[in-house]
Amino acid sequence: MGSYILKRLVSAIPVLLGITVIVFAIMALIPGDPATAILGSYATPENVEKINRDLGLDKPAVQRYFIWLGNMLQGDFGRSFSLNRPVLDEVLERFGATLALAGTSFVLCAVFGVAAGVVSAARQYGFADKAITFAVLLGISIPSFFLGMMMILIFAVQLRWFPVSGMWPVYGSRDLMTLVQHLTLPAIALAVVATGVVARLSRSAMLEVLRQDFIRTARAKGVPERGVIWRHALRAAMVSIIPVLGIQAGFVLSGAVYIEIVFQWPGVGRMLVDAILTRDILLVQGGVVFVAACYVLFNIVVDVAQSLLDPRIKT
Amino acid sequence: MMGFLSLLARNRLALAGLVVMVLVVLLALVTPLLPLADPDVTNTGDRFLPPFSEGALLGTDHLGRDLLSRLMWGTRLSLAVGFAAAVIAAVLGAAVGIVAGYYGGRTDNLIMRGVDMLMAFPYILLALAIVAALGPGLLNALIAVAAVNIPFFARNIRGITVGIAHKEFVDAAKLAGMGNGRIILTEILPNVIPVIVIAMSTTVGWMILETAGLSFLGLGSQPPQADLGSMLGEARSALITNPHTSVVPGVMILVIVMAINLLGDGVRDALDPRLRSGALTRPMASTTVRREGPVPEAQGDAVLDLRDLQTQFHVKDRVYRAVGGVSLGVKPGECLGIIGESGSGKSVTALSVMGLVASPPGVITGGAVHYKGQDLVGAPYETLRDLRGREVSYIFQDPLATLHPLYKVGDQLVEAIRVHHRVPDKEARQKALGLLKDVRIPNAESRMDSYPHEMSGGMRQRVGIAMSLANDPEVIIADEPTTALDVTVQAQILSLLDTLRREKRLAIVFITHDFGVVAQLCDRVAVMYAGRIVEEGPTQAVLDAPAHPYTARLIACVPELGEGKRQLHAIPGLPPAVNDLPPGCAFAPRCDKAEPACKRGEIALEGTARRRVRCIHPETELEAAQ
Amino acid sequence: MTTALRLENLSKTFAVGKRLFGAPKGHVHAVHPVSLEVAEGETMGIVGESGCGKSTLARMLVGLLEPTDGTIEIAGKPLDNADPAVFGKRIQYVFQDPISSLNPRKTIRQIVEAPLKLLHGMDKAQRDDRIREIFAQVNLREEFLDRYPHEFSGGQAQRIGIARALAAEARILILDEPVSALDVSVQAQVLNLLADLKKRLGLTYLFISHDLAVVEAVSDRVAVLYFGSVVEVGRAEDVFARPRHPYTRLLAESAPVVGRALTAPEGRETELPDPLNPPKGCAFRARCPNAGARCAEEEPMLEGDGHLAACFHPVR
Repeated sequence: MGSYILKRLVSAIPVLLGITVIVFAIMALIPGDPATAILGSYATPENVEKINRDLGLDKPAVQRYFIWLGNMLQGDFGRSFSLNRPVLDEVLERFGATLALAGTSFVLCAVFGVAAGVVSAARQYGFADKAITFAVLLGISIPSFFLGMMMILIFAVQLRWFPVSGMWPVYGSRDLMTLVQHLTLPAIALAVVATGVVARLSRSAMLEVLRQDFIRTARAKGVPERGVIWRHALRAAMVSIIPVLGIQAGFVLSGAVYIEIVFQWPGVGRMLVDAILTRDILLVQGGVVFVAACYVLFNIVVDVAQSLLDPRIKT
Repeated sequence: MMGFLSLLARNRLALAGLVVMVLVVLLALVTPLLPLADPDVTNTGDRFLPPFSEGALLGTDHLGRDLLSRLMWGTRLSLAVGFAAAVIAAVLGAAVGIVAGYYGGRTDNLIMRGVDMLMAFPYILLALAIVAALGPGLLNALIAVAAVNIPFFARNIRGITVGIAHKEFVDAAKLAGMGNGRIILTEILPNVIPVIVIAMSTTVGWMILETAGLSFLGLGSQPPQADLGSMLGEARSALITNPHTSVVPGVMILVIVMAINLLGDGVRDALDPRLRSGALTRPMASTTVRREGPVPEAQGDAVLDLRDLQTQFHVKDRVYRAVGGVSLGVKPGECLGIIGESGSGKSVTALSVMGLVASPPGVITGGAVHYKGQDLVGAPYETLRDLRGREVSYIFQDPLATLHPLYKVGDQLVEAIRVHHRVPDKEARQKALGLLKDVRIPNAESRMDSYPHEMSGGMRQRVGIAMSLANDPEVIIADEPTTALDVTVQAQILSLLDTLRREKRLAIVFITHDFGVVAQLCDRVAVMYAGRIVEEGPTQAVLDAPAHPYTARLIACVPELGEGKRQLHAIPGLPPAVNDLPPGCAFAPRCDKAEPACKRGEIALEGTARRRVRCIHPETELEAAQ
Repeated sequence: MTTALRLENLSKTFAVGKRLFGAPKGHVHAVHPVSLEVAEGETMGIVGESGCGKSTLARMLVGLLEPTDGTIEIAGKPLDNADPAVFGKRIQYVFQDPISSLNPRKTIRQIVEAPLKLLHGMDKAQRDDRIREIFAQVNLREEFLDRYPHEFSGGQAQRIGIARALAAEARILILDEPVSALDVSVQAQVLNLLADLKKRLGLTYLFISHDLAVVEAVSDRVAVLYFGSVVEVGRAEDVFARPRHPYTRLLAESAPVVGRALTAPEGRETELPDPLNPPKGCAFRARCPNAGARCAEEEPMLEGDGHLAACFHPVR
């Protein structure tokens, strides 16, 4: 098992390099020059040239890539001109907030999605199945940002059960309780779509497995129906559900961008949107590479979980 | 095409989705012709008018623009962009996927590495990076959304293509003189298109959400032009004071996407052949029983006694009479063979005993299964479950498919013991080990920790046999247990079964299509054709002097080793479909002795208790055969 | 008598655990060097159990797999499938699974027409005539032509597969388990049809099957495959009545036969050798009652006159 994890980590290196290449290549496409964007109305030819020299933009693209890569490997992601602080500091600070939000949503969607899918499949065409199917349809059709806005309107403004926005109260203590209060609405709004997708896939994976011969064997042995569903069928269905959970983690991370905007959550998604609108390229590059790298590592965890579950995968 | 539409129409939810979508698309198409206010004319004097105001049915927004007009124009834009993104992503993704899947090898490897690389991004990061590079704008948002979805399509379509490219009809096409380009176009593509359409119809809604999302962030459509997403984005700052400006576009997105998803599900259900045949319904814990008519009494001293058992499959409006009234019994220590071709109902008969016929579509519609005097048809589930594996156990055909792939064989044996006996784990493991030794598995101790895929076919089937013996059952029903095995392995398994049944005085019902196997293992044999027993008797008697013409001709057409090169005695024609059985003898259309009387009315299974035949003109008179 | 098919030292090795760059992790020798000759008008039976390499061998003969080593000659000329429109006219293949060998989205007419159009360049009228002729030969009704494959039973689908192979007008047919997916009553129909076609059209067959009785019923000569090697080859009646290789005898004795008592011909529980890690010497020796010291050291070669066996201690 240890050697398998190591192997997966090693095989992630080319993927991480590929990510940096893709990000760099896309950014290199940007028309116009960043210096003009940074300087705005102060863009005299001399100033532009100076900035270009400072940023190393006068060098060829390949060389620039390796300088950027080398610096990143040493922990230097560059400096954000719009915030005037190191990119990495900003990204790390913001990523913590995103992680709290997306992590909570991911756990919610995995637990409730799988459970709903199993119940739905076990009671196919029954009342529970129809109710869940309808809820799932609603969940995957509603834009998460609209759902978030409506939740603010109802639960925060009308009912006053939860704060309207932000991660912490403006005044007052920053304890777990206040975090949970602030987290509840955005986490649910973010989890709804992913829960729907996971529930749908779990249902069809369960239906697929329940038709297999080994389920008939379990029944022929006299295994009670609850054991057939939860021990035999779900275990086998997890083989196809876990990769979906891996993909959904990416979707939750993506959806967090909208939710962070709606709920004024100080996360990395909001930072990226602001950075794009101010054309703060180093911040965009650094943020994207950092989050993508975290996602790659998370997917290794998913693969390892999969190999623990399925002995047919060669480790 | 008509069939597809009628299938779609049968699904009421999909139909509702279709109606809504047609309406929305029509409205979007005629928007420029309608007498609407200009969507982009600001009138700050009339800002935030509530809905149902004079001259503004849905009210106005923060710049006093007519919301109804903006909604209509925005819908038009959102639909166009969403569909365009879906089409672009589907076409490019499918092209990449088909090329990678068909050519395989290094081409596939390189392409898929690239796809994996793109999928290593949470998709919005890629979209944001693309928009950052190209600059905000609706067209750029469209490109970004299409681009990030290409890998999903490519991976999906590649998987399907790999499956098709390895089908034998592709090999046949190569030998028919086709080149690669032609094969892709005429053999692969027609089989992939339904999948592409399904993937597209289930993702169009998602694409609309995504482009609306980018617009919501201010990265899509730029003012004054608005799609639904940017309307929502602009309204957000006035969410608390004037919620109607947010609700209007938000609800519109919800309605459109929901209609598309309903329609997409309908399209998928109509195009997916597996769903069409109802294969994705889950079999219930035991077979449905709808018994009409009386419950036949048990007869004789059989431990397991089937009386006039009838099992049907109800698929849509067709009824398949898989088992059409089967009576047979097996005594302790006896081995009864049931022989027949595929579709004769022999397996369904066997599975009906313990209610293991997949239901839906299977239904037991008549007769009785007496086990030690108790009728199992219609018995409560808990009664059946208690008997399954404890008193009556099964051995199935393909041991790779019938053992759970993710549990060690030892654990599966332990479970078989512990569902019926409350014994400590250690004791159960000891017993399981003993079982593996009973079925002569070498190195039984280490095999306890093996997974099924780590064993050979013969070893797996031994595990299957060990599992059936776990609770010392009275009856074992073996459903073609050696059909999937090689002949040398089959010989080992058969001799093992024979030894075990003599040692343990088991009653065995052995289902097979092979006369050689029946001859070597079974005391008595019942021959099935089209869901009924046509002949029954002691194995030797039936094989030496078959009475039913079907039995006689079936024996004659099996080539036997040692007879040299020769012409075989084939039976003309095909077995009848059990949803359309002819009146009278089902074999009559293929029988050279058939007379008009054979094709009329019910022909009974007659004879002595030992030997019976369902024929008006048997090959041998039964009295003479005894 | 001319030679229709000649294989010389034909072998196939599959790489296992391929990587994008660099050497694969291991090799499986699916087919060890095999040399065989099939005379024109002859039916050569190939018999063996699952995993013995018989399908790999067959697929190499029709160019669907590239041999690792060795040569194939078809009617005196080396196999050349560079131009599919020429190659298809020389050798054809009938598949094991009749349903999956027909494209579910094409009508039977489109399927049978393809070789006529692409291999023989016939126009519409010629094609219709020829299809009528072929369908009469394989006892299929013409009304089937505009239906789709899923409407047919296995036996009918296999006749369609045979019709497609005939349409190419190749003189040599590779029959890869053509009846093992069929019920016995239908199996006999198809076997008789194949025999009949051969007689009328003067075809050469390579008939592959795991069923000894079926192979015996159709073949002139038989080759027995074990673990990728031919272990015995000779006239069908000799091979089955007087097997020389212990494996052939084991096969013959394992087949369940009416009127023979049930015994396990092998006393021990045995398994096939591991293809990734093949044993030294004779691959069968672990299961062989006659195995001696030499069997563990050397690989036996095919020897004999007319009836050949690869064994140091052949059965007398």
